[in-house]
Amino acid sequence: MNKKLFLFLIITLIFIFNSEIVRANNLEYDYSSTEAIPIHLAITSEISTKNPINDGQSVEFRVLNDVNYEGKTIAKQGDIVPAKIATIVTAGMNGFPAEIFIDDFQFPNIKNSQLMGEYNKKGQNRCLWVYPLKWSLTLIPFVGSLTNFIMGGNAKIQPDEMITIYYYPKWK
Amino acid sequence: MKKFLLVLTLLLSFNPVYAINNLAADNAIQSRIDNVGVRLLNFNKIQKRIVFVYDEEGKKNLIASKSVTKRQVIVYGTAYKSIQTDDELAAMLAREISSAVKSYSGMWGGRLDTIQVVLGSKKFETVADKRAVDYMVKAGYNPLALIVYINKTCPQGRSDKFARHNLTSKRLARIYEYITYKYPQFLQNNSYIDNEYYQNFLLNSVENRKKLEQKIKYGGVGEVEYE
Repeated sequence: MNKKLFLFLIITLIFIFNSEIVRANNLEYDYSSTEAIPIHLAITSEISTKNPINDGQSVEFRVLNDVNYEGKTIAKQGDIVPAKIATIVTAGMNGFPAEIFIDDFQFPNIKNSQLMGEYNKKGQNRCLWVYPLKWSLTLIPFVGSLTNFIMGGNAKIQPDEMITIYYYPKWK
Repeated sequence: MKKFLLVLTLLLSFNPVYAINNLAADNAIQSRIDNVGVRLLNFNKIQKRIVFVYDEEGKKNLIASKSVTKRQVIVYGTAYKSIQTDDELAAMLAREISSAVKSYSGMWGGRLDTIQVVLGSKKFETVADKRAVDYMVKAGYNPLALIVYINKTCPQGRSDKFARHNLTSKRLARIYEYITYKYPQFLQNNSYIDNEYYQNFLLNSVENRKKLEQKIKYGGVGEVEYE
């Protein structure tokens, strides 16, 4: 009886040990590799927070140089890469800048999980001078509040602007 | 004498056992929070260090959350009480993660952006909600849980004209709109349709959802004036 119990315990321990190993290998990601290939892109038509745009709207980018890995061409110069506007932050009072986040770049030969791909662009941050101005003007009643009407800069991505995202070929 | 010894033994043994049980319960909660939090960080490839702490008795700082000042997401016991599923926990953590990530960007080691988040809290509240939806979807959680979580936990103010925070109904409507445009699949195959809290949101957001329907119908862009 004791032998059986001992055997059962051993089997249980082996099972637990193995399942831990399997679990470690079963993660949907593995960020061990540091090897990264830069991909240079440019937007096909200008976007700006000045013009109303919706979150989730599609945008297109053009590949600026051939991207090769281990003798294979991953993306060709001139290829069109669709992406999405992730989030828009509109410009705010007191010089808060607008911001555009872009992600979900779709390359035919690259899995999304292998891209370190979110790109964001900020407008001009006017808080740097608006806050000191506001605080100095507060000595005169109600005048400091006037800086509330100074808006931050709009975020704009232009076709002549190069953006870089990174492809990690060894990531899952 | 025997009785006295028995009572004494019981008294002496009770506290440590209680303490150990408490510790085990705290440890289970902390592990759950860590698992969900780290999953959100890993799936979203967030390269910034953010830690998660469970604080049963603490109270949230009303001016600046520690997410932005210390890059530490603190889950208070009062908030944790309302969490039922991992999706809801992910919703809560994802919101704080988005604030913490923001505190890393910009000048002076992120200090300027931190000040902006604190002072422009209404604007960044909306941004944090939207980023939270993205984080949840990428980590495999249902973003409708964010609606459920906020609907359950955030009270409704009278007006947000001069307030530091948006009206909760506005926040919920904006999150719903964001999901409608960006992740419509969650509304088409809606696993929350049988959830009573979600149905309560649908009930109290009829007017706002009508406005969104109008925007979609006429292909509108820009912000909808929600109530």
